[in-house]
Amino acid sequence: MKKHRQFLYAIGIAALAILVAATPIEAQRGRGGRGAPQTPSAPAPRLPDGTPDFAGLWQGGGTNNGDISRALKPGEELIMLPWAEEHMTTLRSQNDPQANCLPSGVPRGAPYPWRMLQTPTHEPATHIFIVYEGNIHSYRQIFMDGRDHPDDPDPTWYGHSIGRWDGDTLVVDSVGFNDRFWFDYLGHTHTEQLHIVERYTRTDMDNMTIEVMIDDPGAYEKPFTVAGTARIQEGEILEYICNEYNIDLEHIDAPAQLP
Amino acid sequence: MKITVAALIAGLLVPTIGLESAAHHSFAAQYNSDDPVEFDGVITRVEWKNPHAHFYVDVSGPDGTVENWDMELASPNMLVRNGWKRDLLKQGDRIHVTGSRANDGTNTAATALITLPDGNQLTFISNPNADR
Repeated sequence: MKKHRQFLYAIGIAALAILVAATPIEAQRGRGGRGAPQTPSAPAPRLPDGTPDFAGLWQGGGTNNGDISRALKPGEELIMLPWAEEHMTTLRSQNDPQANCLPSGVPRGAPYPWRMLQTPTHEPATHIFIVYEGNIHSYRQIFMDGRDHPDDPDPTWYGHSIGRWDGDTLVVDSVGFNDRFWFDYLGHTHTEQLHIVERYTRTDMDNMTIEVMIDDPGAYEKPFTVAGTARIQEGEILEYICNEYNIDLEHIDAPAQLP
Repeated sequence: MKITVAALIAGLLVPTIGLESAAHHSFAAQYNSDDPVEFDGVITRVEWKNPHAHFYVDVSGPDGTVENWDMELASPNMLVRNGWKRDLLKQGDRIHVTGSRANDGTNTAATALITLPDGNQLTFISNPNADR
């Protein structure tokens, strides 16, 4: 009986391994976790002022939480400077900021949904907020009022973000990041010179493409662009207070590695 | 024998968010999927908390000794999205559970499959029986 159970257990693990190996992480972040096919839906909605409406609960769109290089656009190359490559080999999984319930930074995704909030009144939106369920419960603030970046912004986890419309694409330009977050589980690193340009396009009611240009001459030989896809999800943001009972870290002592 | 191949695979395939991406840390850095655990036990405590829910199980060995195991689940928000309810596991419940032991060799494991006294089964992240 016990051997039979062990055999069944092994089959189950094998099935999971096959599933995981065959399914890209981004694809696993399907609608409501139910793997709806990515077929075109109704046209993307618009606000009364004509700008695209990004309302909805979105899942995915991060640029591969495991290894950002797996999200490179075709023809793009991620080439680290020698010091950065060496630095990555010293990182430990238990020191991953995400494992420590710190913000994921930009553009790292997390396996939790997020919501984009525009703030139109009698005029177009002056701000767009991205509200994250995790990791952690937090938000990004994107200024849409035409201001520039400050000359010398204090480094922060989410940086200083200004947005504009390029047709139906929201273009978000961000600087002023700290150097503390990792791009992925492997620990792809960056410096305070990091400059990110994100392009959000709601291609139809249910889908959004997100392209992210990463330029950090302090850690990478040249800029590179990664891409992800977000899908509309049913439901609402739920509470997720990561640091409530984070007892995992005492059991982790391993090199930074894939999930 | 309540565990069937079909139930096992169905239970594991229901969520499309894989085990390895359902955590705020690298799963492989904490757990060894090549070191499975399986036992019958009695739940002593349930911690329905972030970033992972945990339940604790007293497991009796053949020599009468009792070990308490810490079994990890996904986060409550993920569990709820995948059909769980907080009271599906209760202190005093006698269960059968499988999982992957922590790399550090402590009595800690990531849950793979829980079989309840009524035969219903739950996984790390999903309640396959939920009406969704």
